[in-house]
Amino acid sequence: MLWRQFAMEWRLYSRDRVAMFWTMAFPVILLLGFGTIFRDSGGPKLAVVRVATLAPGARDAALDQALVDLQLKVVALSRTEAEARWARGETAAQLEPEGEGYRLRLNSYLMAQAGATAGLVNQAWLVAQARLSGAPEPRRIPIQVESPGRKRSANYASFLLPGLLGLNLVSMGLFSVGMVNVSYREKGKFRRLAVTPLPKWIFLLGQVLHRLTVTVVQAAILLLVGYLVFGIANQGSFLNLALIMALGTGCFMAFGFALSGFAETSEGYAAISNLVFFPLMMLSGVYFTLDSAPAWLQHLVAGMPLAPFLKALRAVFNDGASLAGHGLGLGIVAAWGLAAFLLAVKRFRWA
Amino acid sequence: MTESALRLRGLRKTFPKVVAVAGVDLDVARGEVFGLLGPNGAGKTTTLEVIEGLTEADSGEIEILGLTWARNGREIRSRIGVQLQSTSLFNKITPREALDLYGSYYPRRRGTEELLALVQLEEKADAYHITLSGGQQQRLALAMALVNDPELVFLDEPTTGLDPQARRGLWDVVRRMKAEGRTVVLTTHYMDEAEALCDRLAIMDHGKVIATGTPASLIADLALPSIVELTFEGTAPDPAAFEAALGLRVEPRMDLWEIPTPDPKTLLPRLLEAAEAAAVPFQQVHIRRATLEDVFLHRTGRSLRE
Ligand SMILES: Nc1ncnc2c1ncn2[C@@H]1O[C@H](COP(=O)(O)OP(=O)(O)OP(=O)(O)O)[C@@H](O)[C@H]1O
Ligand SMILES: [Mg+2]
Repeated sequence: MLWRQFAMEWRLYSRDRVAMFWTMAFPVILLLGFGTIFRDSGGPKLAVVRVATLAPGARDAALDQALVDLQLKVVALSRTEAEARWARGETAAQLEPEGEGYRLRLNSYLMAQAGATAGLVNQAWLVAQARLSGAPEPRRIPIQVESPGRKRSANYASFLLPGLLGLNLVSMGLFSVGMVNVSYREKGKFRRLAVTPLPKWIFLLGQVLHRLTVTVVQAAILLLVGYLVFGIANQGSFLNLALIMALGTGCFMAFGFALSGFAETSEGYAAISNLVFFPLMMLSGVYFTLDSAPAWLQHLVAGMPLAPFLKALRAVFNDGASLAGHGLGLGIVAAWGLAAFLLAVKRFRWA
Repeated sequence: MTESALRLRGLRKTFPKVVAVAGVDLDVARGEVFGLLGPNGAGKTTTLEVIEGLTEADSGEIEILGLTWARNGREIRSRIGVQLQSTSLFNKITPREALDLYGSYYPRRRGTEELLALVQLEEKADAYHITLSGGQQQRLALAMALVNDPELVFLDEPTTGLDPQARRGLWDVVRRMKAEGRTVVLTTHYMDEAEALCDRLAIMDHGKVIATGTPASLIADLALPSIVELTFEGTAPDPAAFEAALGLRVEPRMDLWEIPTPDPKTLLPRLLEAAEAAAVPFQQVHIRRATLEDVFLHRTGRSLRE
């Protein structure tokens, strides 16, 4: 019965060519787009805006050279151009002449970049002074950018790919699957099923399995494009990758189904899913760390499914890690998935 | 095996602003074709959906084939067949696939080919549901109601949207079901259909059953088995004066007067005389047997379909 349900889902799905094409193509397009933009950089480079000195001297030349030596991208602009750029909010750090010396302006909205840039600018200043005075150059502490798994990330696209795989799952589960479910119920497409002996859990499990396989195909296409275009290869075992993906799909699809049980209309669902999506994203530790957050919040966040899922995915894909260190995290994902599925079965209404 | 196919006691269902079903008692025997007759909003669909387990009743007892929802939900679902008032399926499923799929949910099932033939959909067996005409979709819904070889079948307005030929076809299907020993509960707005198909009927209005019986007994209970009609060109005039002259009740309808009578033979000469005397500009005279329409009219003062 489950098999039939699953097979029919696929058959009907494959008839909607447009929807199927975009589901498969969307993550690929994102990968191609972002991957190409950041192709050669090992990640976005730190940049400093350098406001031109009216009568540049030897000191200015030495500083500029030192900035370049320290791998900073120097954007040289006149004062008016620099001010305009600053006003648009595009500048993270701006180095400008002031009196006898210099001043560094940092953009409070872009502190992460600005802070790192400030450190490098100050180092460059020390180097430049040493060079001018003929003193030996101060010894710098070498910097190396690495992922926690100790493998050097080859390029930005290879960092991007697992993120795309993961976020695509979350958005499919929370937005597409749940929304389709609510709108079908709204249109009364499940009413006829309600008078048959088909158990709800089989119907739902059939849908989850269908989506799971859709994701497998989607992931396979994405991996293939990543490999062919950017030469990104999975560093870990494919079995581990598949396991994590399956767990994540199951979890976030079940999330979507569970949420759809709480909405009466598609509009209502849009609101509810955003209500869940944003905290899930914001508190996942993907955008900012929560080191300074209150302890209770940190405990809460540690128990959320998105962060451990993405972490395990990156560890396997980028660093070739085994699943050994990720048992707890994946356990959390599985627990959420199971709880969401049970809730989905309980809340599911045919009409 | 119990004798009763369906037994309702004190069934009530209230929506936020309407009492849709206001205390319904019904008994349907096995092998019977039972009709629910009533105007729009009478509560027919709600009654059926409560019985089918789609809507939960506020109160009342439901016994289906001797089973109850509380204890035997799955078994009830396996043994009843349902045609909803409107059946919405996935746009791109074909009739053949729909019958195969829905059939797979049941322990017992009838063959897809046989069902397609029964509702004459062989030609459209592989067309997407969304491309079927309204009547074809309706016929598919009927076939789906029979997919599990059900003992008890609920049909909600099965002939609405069918052309006259398909309508006759459905009558044949229902008669065949009866011959096969199934119990059928159907709703309709059509008097002729109810008279032609149903062994017994319940007439519903405002959520209540206002009369039950065989079509013949319901009409006989009127004690006015015939209606004489005078038809006019255009709108019928006010009958007050004529009514007084005749000494009988005259009911004006759009373009005719109706005069119910137990004895048309003696009435007719008197009537024509009075009409002549009062110079009533009528066109034609008809005498007809009273119908269920008249039963409804008589009980509620309103017409079944307006
Ligand atoms: N879901 C609902 N929410 C609110 N009111 C409803 C709902 N379903 C039905 N009703 C109301 O209940 C009453 C009975 O409706 P029902 O559909 O049972 O009538 P019906 O006899 O089947 O009419 P029809 O001949 O038009 O199909 C109507 O007044 C209707 O407006
Ligand atoms: Mg109805």
